[in-house]
Amino acid sequence: MGALAAGPLSACGSGGGGRTTLRFYQSKPEVIGYFDENIIAPFNQSQSDIVVTHDATSSLVASLVREAPHDLVCNNYNLEPGTFVARDVLTDLGDLPEAEQIRPDVQELVGQYATPERASHVLPYSITAAGVIYNVPLFDEHGVEVPTTWSELIDACETFQSADITPFYMTFADPWTIQQGLFDYVGGGMLDVAQFYSELEAAGTDGGTTSSVSFRDRFDPVVAKMLELVPYTNPDAASRSYEDGNTAFARGDGAMYLQGPWAIGQIAAANPDLEVGTFPLPATDDPADLKARVNLDLALWIPKGAANPEAARTFLSYLMTPEVMHTYNADNLAISPVEDAPEVEDERIARLGAYVQDGAFYQGPGTYIPTAIPVGNYLQTLVLSRNGDEFLRTLDNDWNRLAQRTLV
Amino acid sequence: MTATSEAATTSRVAAPSADQGRRKVDPTYLVMLLPPVVLFTIFITLPGIVGMFYSITDYAGYGDWKFIGLTNYQAIFSDPRILGAYTFTIGFSFVTVILVNAVALALAIGLNAKIKFKKGLRGTFVLPMVISGIVIAYVFNYLFSTSLPTIAAALGIDALAGSILANPSLAWIGVVIVTAWQAVPGAMIIYLAGLLAIPTDVYEAADVDGASSWRKFTAITLPLMVGYVVINTILGFKNFLNAYDIIVGLTNGGPGTSTFSIAMTIFTGFTSGDYAYQMANAVLFFIVTIAISLFQLELIRRRGVSL
Repeated sequence: MGALAAGPLSACGSGGGGRTTLRFYQSKPEVIGYFDENIIAPFNQSQSDIVVTHDATSSLVASLVREAPHDLVCNNYNLEPGTFVARDVLTDLGDLPEAEQIRPDVQELVGQYATPERASHVLPYSITAAGVIYNVPLFDEHGVEVPTTWSELIDACETFQSADITPFYMTFADPWTIQQGLFDYVGGGMLDVAQFYSELEAAGTDGGTTSSVSFRDRFDPVVAKMLELVPYTNPDAASRSYEDGNTAFARGDGAMYLQGPWAIGQIAAANPDLEVGTFPLPATDDPADLKARVNLDLALWIPKGAANPEAARTFLSYLMTPEVMHTYNADNLAISPVEDAPEVEDERIARLGAYVQDGAFYQGPGTYIPTAIPVGNYLQTLVLSRNGDEFLRTLDNDWNRLAQRTLV
Repeated sequence: MTATSEAATTSRVAAPSADQGRRKVDPTYLVMLLPPVVLFTIFITLPGIVGMFYSITDYAGYGDWKFIGLTNYQAIFSDPRILGAYTFTIGFSFVTVILVNAVALALAIGLNAKIKFKKGLRGTFVLPMVISGIVIAYVFNYLFSTSLPTIAAALGIDALAGSILANPSLAWIGVVIVTAWQAVPGAMIIYLAGLLAIPTDVYEAADVDGASSWRKFTAITLPLMVGYVVINTILGFKNFLNAYDIIVGLTNGGPGTSTFSIAMTIFTGFTSGDYAYQMANAVLFFIVTIAISLFQLELIRRRGVSL
């Protein structure tokens, strides 16, 4: 079927001056223009075999349903593309020389959302590291050092609170912000997240029950610490959205903000003069436990039904040349996933970047939970009701129910 | 009632002579009927049947799949989130239908009375209908989350100082208000048409008998408007059971899962690889909708109202 489809399509492409038309998908809103101008246009000019066309709008799932997938995809890697790997609709890229340059501990992140033995079906391209964004002038003004332990963090909160400054600006109206921030940072800072979920997977239909591995069992101390931080937030957090949070933090309404690097640009847009920095949220009393929350912000894959897999591999190699990849990452507050990646220079994310390069990172515990379980909404209930037992019980029951019906 | 049975008798009497007409069907009817039937089959019926088929598999929308029997259906009945969505959606539709009909009828009567600026007012009241639901939702989201609490705080009303959208037990009221705000004009137009169809001489006769306004409303307007109430109820239920865009813009199902509608849960199936499970949910939703519609049609039949 693939070969049949490839025939007419590539013939179509070669109609325009003998060049293959490559359908390239990339939809991260902030860098669509960057890709067009800095990557695709120079590539199209540099050779005469391939013309790359950039698709930033269609649905990846729909293209798979129609059995007309893109030739090459460069997009965020999370649980959804993880199911592409699990359902085995992508090709193995492990034989490419570029695959060998990638750090094994980063490549491993792919398998954590899917089938570990097919981890090489997706190649990491750009890592973003998230932690606490802090207001540098406020920290200096009140003599607060960047905390490296939980007790130092609580001390910092107390200092700010007694000075009538909101320690944490939070935005509970947008459930994903609670998940990405409070839940992921405290959970990732305290537990071995990947280990927990692989045990949960291994438990199969027993996962989430008290007799086996469960959220109740492992996340109880996590939830307790999350709730300990809730009193240090702005009183109107329940009705504030992500956009509200960015403008408020830019205005100086809060010393710390639990968001990733994507918010830094928004904050700078609202107040270009505010100096911000980042640090990993300390969740234990041992500074050696400090880790950054990472996300494969961009990763590359070639679907099995791609019309032009060879051309896709050529463009993939171009994307992964050090000049293209390192320039992209340096320009977009991100980190390259390869062994000899340059050090992060941007001061705003330098501290988190160093943790990533030392291998101290995790993928957020919230990101392992399928969207069939609305964990963000459950977290919203948790921070409003402060009932930790109910939250953990709901999560366990949902996980178990999902396992019962998907593992038949 | 007498009207319908009379009509039935006439059609039965007329039946034998219809034989002749059947042989020469005007081709115009075929030309008009065929495209919609073909389009409806291709775009509604066939996908519906395909969806029903996949509801007994573990299909993710792509890739490998296998039959899993009725597992998806069994799972739905023990899934508190889906059951919660049904409770919320049906309860919400019920309250909204009542609110929309009451407000629309009152407005229609008001706008039908002898008042100044009647045309201009009618135009103004129809405006909400032409604005997209998601836009309305975002505007009201801002009003509920920012403007109202600020006003309440300034006036010293503590009970309203927090956003009702951030309160799990009150957020549904916000959804009802905004949905009603958008749905009232449509219902109002239907009621206005109904009021215009009531002959004025009935009211004149009532005036001669010295009936009060309230008596005229309960004894003349309401009984003559029953058909329109039924139409508005059916159309309202159909729209509110499918509630999606306003809720997404207003609460996105929150706080927690307190305002998750059925359509929203079905839609999550597309992004979570949970396609087959939510297809089963969609089939169930289809059956529930059919049941509600049949119940309403039965009500109409009993009241002898023709649509």
